[in-house]
Amino acid sequence: MGAIGRFLKNIMTNRAMLLMVLPGAIWFLFFSYLPMFGTIIAFKEYRFSRDGFLASIFNSEWVGFDNFKFLFSTNDAYIITRNTVLYNFVFIILGLVLSVALAIILSEIVNKRLAKVYQTGMFLPYFLSWVIVGYFVFSFLSFDKGMMNQILGWFGAEPVQWYSEAKYWPVILTLVSLWKGIGYSSVVYLAAIMGIDKSLYEAAMIDGANKWQQIKAITIPMLKPLMTILTLLAIGKIFYADFGLFYQVPRDSGTLYSVTNVIDTYVYRGLKTTGEIGMTTAAGLYQSVVGFILVMTSNYIVRKYDKDNALF
Amino acid sequence: MAKSNAKSQDFHQLSKGWNIGANLIAGIFAFLCVFPFLFVLIISFTDEKSLATNGYQIIPEKWSLEAYRYVFQTGDTLLRSYGVTIFVTVVGTIISLCVIALYAYAVSRKSFRYRNFFSFFAFFTMLFNGGLVPTYIVATQVLHLKDSIWALIWPLAVNAFYIMILRTFYSTSVPDAILESGKIDGASEFKIFYKLVLPLSLPGLATIGLFSTLGYWNDWFNALLYIDNPDLVPLQSMLMRIETSMQFILQNSQNSSLSMSALQSLPQDTSRMAMVVLATGPIVLAYPFFQRYFIQGLTIGAVKE
Amino acid sequence: MSTSKKKWLLPLTVMLSASMLLSACGGKSNTGNESAGSGENASATELIWYTIGAPQKDLEKVEAEINKYTSEKIGVTVDMKMIDFGDYTQKMQVMAASGEPMDILFTSSWAFDYVQNARKGAFMELDQLLEDHGQGIKEVLDPAFLEGSKVDGHNYGIPANKELPAQEVWRFNKSLLEKHNLSIDGLKTLEDMEPLLKTIKENDPNVVPFAIGKDYGPQNLLPYDYIIEKLPMAVSLENDELKVVNILEQPEMMDALKTMNKFYKAGYISPEAATTTSTQDLFTSGNWFMDRAATQPYADNSWSQSYGYPVVSTPANEPTVFNWSVMGSMQAISANSEHPEEAMKFLNLLNTDAALRNLVDSGIEGVHYKKLSENVAENLPESKNYDMPTFALGNVMLTYLNPQDPENKWEEFKKFNEAGTPSPLLGFNFDPSNVSSELAALNNVKEEFWSPLMTGTVNPEEFIPKANERLKAAGLDKIIAEAQKQIDEWKTSK
Repeated sequence: MGAIGRFLKNIMTNRAMLLMVLPGAIWFLFFSYLPMFGTIIAFKEYRFSRDGFLASIFNSEWVGFDNFKFLFSTNDAYIITRNTVLYNFVFIILGLVLSVALAIILSEIVNKRLAKVYQTGMFLPYFLSWVIVGYFVFSFLSFDKGMMNQILGWFGAEPVQWYSEAKYWPVILTLVSLWKGIGYSSVVYLAAIMGIDKSLYEAAMIDGANKWQQIKAITIPMLKPLMTILTLLAIGKIFYADFGLFYQVPRDSGTLYSVTNVIDTYVYRGLKTTGEIGMTTAAGLYQSVVGFILVMTSNYIVRKYDKDNALF
Repeated sequence: MAKSNAKSQDFHQLSKGWNIGANLIAGIFAFLCVFPFLFVLIISFTDEKSLATNGYQIIPEKWSLEAYRYVFQTGDTLLRSYGVTIFVTVVGTIISLCVIALYAYAVSRKSFRYRNFFSFFAFFTMLFNGGLVPTYIVATQVLHLKDSIWALIWPLAVNAFYIMILRTFYSTSVPDAILESGKIDGASEFKIFYKLVLPLSLPGLATIGLFSTLGYWNDWFNALLYIDNPDLVPLQSMLMRIETSMQFILQNSQNSSLSMSALQSLPQDTSRMAMVVLATGPIVLAYPFFQRYFIQGLTIGAVKE
Repeated sequence: MSTSKKKWLLPLTVMLSASMLLSACGGKSNTGNESAGSGENASATELIWYTIGAPQKDLEKVEAEINKYTSEKIGVTVDMKMIDFGDYTQKMQVMAASGEPMDILFTSSWAFDYVQNARKGAFMELDQLLEDHGQGIKEVLDPAFLEGSKVDGHNYGIPANKELPAQEVWRFNKSLLEKHNLSIDGLKTLEDMEPLLKTIKENDPNVVPFAIGKDYGPQNLLPYDYIIEKLPMAVSLENDELKVVNILEQPEMMDALKTMNKFYKAGYISPEAATTTSTQDLFTSGNWFMDRAATQPYADNSWSQSYGYPVVSTPANEPTVFNWSVMGSMQAISANSEHPEEAMKFLNLLNTDAALRNLVDSGIEGVHYKKLSENVAENLPESKNYDMPTFALGNVMLTYLNPQDPENKWEEFKKFNEAGTPSPLLGFNFDPSNVSSELAALNNVKEEFWSPLMTGTVNPEEFIPKANERLKAAGLDKIIAEAQKQIDEWKTSK
């Protein structure tokens, strides 16, 4: 019995599971893996050919890593990388802590109906597009009509030109991002808390554990797998920034670029005039590769300490 | 704030002080989240001129229904868009929940020999994609999805992120012992999944179902790419189209013929807000019902045990 | 979710997989070439026509009429697909890059960039086709249109016959002029506006004296033509040297920006001008005194009509024909078109035949509009279901006038077109492919400085040197050198 036979036998023993992944696998094949061949255009100067896409790729000139150059050629390269990574880092940490905390608070509130009302409310920002959020933030921070300056006025403080003072924006952007995302992410944790076996808490109570001890000894450990996975996945996206947050919310104000320019906005602004899809693809590839390396490294570390919670 | 039912308080519950604290935190945050919605709602009922003169006001000088009149001008187009959105959301969520639930379950099982391979197979697509043009080509030239309602469903049907979350749900909420007992009873893998696993992982499934519903409801990009036929345009896409076109025209105002020809037809700020209200209103109102099923699902799950 | 207790999961997975595979392999061709279901004659060639503008409800109805007409006349029918302004560029870029079947497409300098895409190979070269089937177009168009829209010596698109030059005017809210007894006679430069702005600021504190947003710039008023719009490389209009300079280093620019900064400090400009995307709310409320806008003949009438109060204007510069003003609206033939000759025949008819042109533009007579005389038509209520962007659909001067329009509107357009002086750079188009990474960096730096500088929000004496330093670090000099090289080559080849 050769390797092929063994393989066939494995297939047979796993056939039920294989059937279960089949629809999803086919989907991935068509919608994700097949288009991935297009990544080649990151290394080409893409020109259209009248015989369709494949002919276009084939006839376009190879340019090596030229399409990547614009990401690294200036001082901005440092600023956009720093901004993207730092913001994401803060969002990951604060997002994790706050959404878990919020989920626990919601799960502990005595009146379940009220908890439901709160939860519904928290979910709402997720529905608003960044354009509308930008609008709303502007109604707060507008120089002459904004609420913030009115409030400052009551305390006799000078009005602030919010949209040209870079120093406030790291805080503003963090708050806006958390405000928009926490309701959404806490739903996952809340569901996980709901799924925890109630008998665990009863046993703890019999042992005389108070609420705080229960949370520490049962809730948090039970949430750990989810926390780990979500964080690992977020690390993979650390080179991606939410375009709307960094473009619409600061109203694309030039004076704020030192703290609002991230990789995605840089690529957008840079390629607006030339529209080279080779360069867009190159930027995406760069973001993906770095993310991939980071996740694989973190996953490796996680696996060393806690094999069950690793991604794979 | 909270109605305290002190009588029935067992030690499961928070003490009164802590409960008030928890209510305060959650309540204030929830209010901060709801507030912009009220803001949008109020602007949508504000008179355009008084908005332009006074800026945003909590209680506007003059109320008006003009914005809604403007949006409803489109008449049956709007209704049809609602229809498309609802169809896509319902069908899409069902399909996507089925595919994801099965896939995630398989890769959560330790006995599945290829679980790491298929986990990686899914995960890899979260980071790498072929970009817009190749995706478009596959969808239109290989799958022939152009101008078909399925172009709004298939591209969002599977999502590696949801698979990863659900996989975690399965592996934390379904004890191995249960699976073993099912095996001993001689049940097939599919039967074990349906009879034993599903009831236990309802919270997780409900969450993914919710995410998927919202994903479909909010999607406008696939329609932008694949749909030319105005009868197949979903709601969000229609509103997004008006919104981006308005921005585009305003930004290109140095172009005389463009700005001249668009002068009359530009929607105003109040109409934009009315569009937001119309696009999000139904799903926001439906959300509490969804939550009820969510909770119901939980109770069934708990009883089953 | 749960329906029956039977074994439904196994069949389900199989079904899901199968349906996905089926839709992949089963060749149900939804792609393009199906007819729009209007029952026209079968021998006619169908052209797929992508054009810009909000999709119209009655498009299909009108299309049927168009097809009846064109299939008889030239044996061609069209399948019109409208994509709204904001989505057009992105969608067309994706479709062109992926070789979607199309025949005729709208292109311009401001949406689905004509020069860029002509160079990338999205459009078919039209020189011979124009000769064979486009004689009518050549007759009606001012020769500057076809000359100015050449890319590397060839035509790739048919410009619409409309206003040819670009001209800027100062616009004023007339009631405020009257209220304060101000006259706009003889005003021309930015500096001339100061006393008026001062009067308004002092007497009408609720009015924004000078309504500008982030896209405003005095740069359009300076006698320069830009290599790429809103990037600081430019060539002077006042001599034929064709020397590329950094506009921020020119003394005229410094003076203009100093004036803007003075106005800003005096409070004539909104403190948030540098981040304001639109001044539309000021126009709605009428709380503005003046601004600057691009004009065309009888623009004052259109503005006054749409704002609901009188607006008057006075020229701020001379009408000049730029590349971008020539390319304001064009129809091109897709490089992968199967029927280029028929497409050209159709475009020829569209630009010369008043019946077809008005059918496309205003819809069906008696349904969407009512004819008042030979060339005047009045919109009927149904016209709200068919409201097309007139300027984007070919020869504008064939279209019916509105009852409010002056009788000599198109004559005035022709005069306006003749009055325009061509820019020395007319017909030259920069090819950025050698410097595309520098351009990406430059664009980012420019965006950072441009709006604050141009709106007068910052002190130019302090900021221009800073901006120049950064622009140079991003590779401005290299781009200028490349542009100069290309211009020199173009000059000798001419």
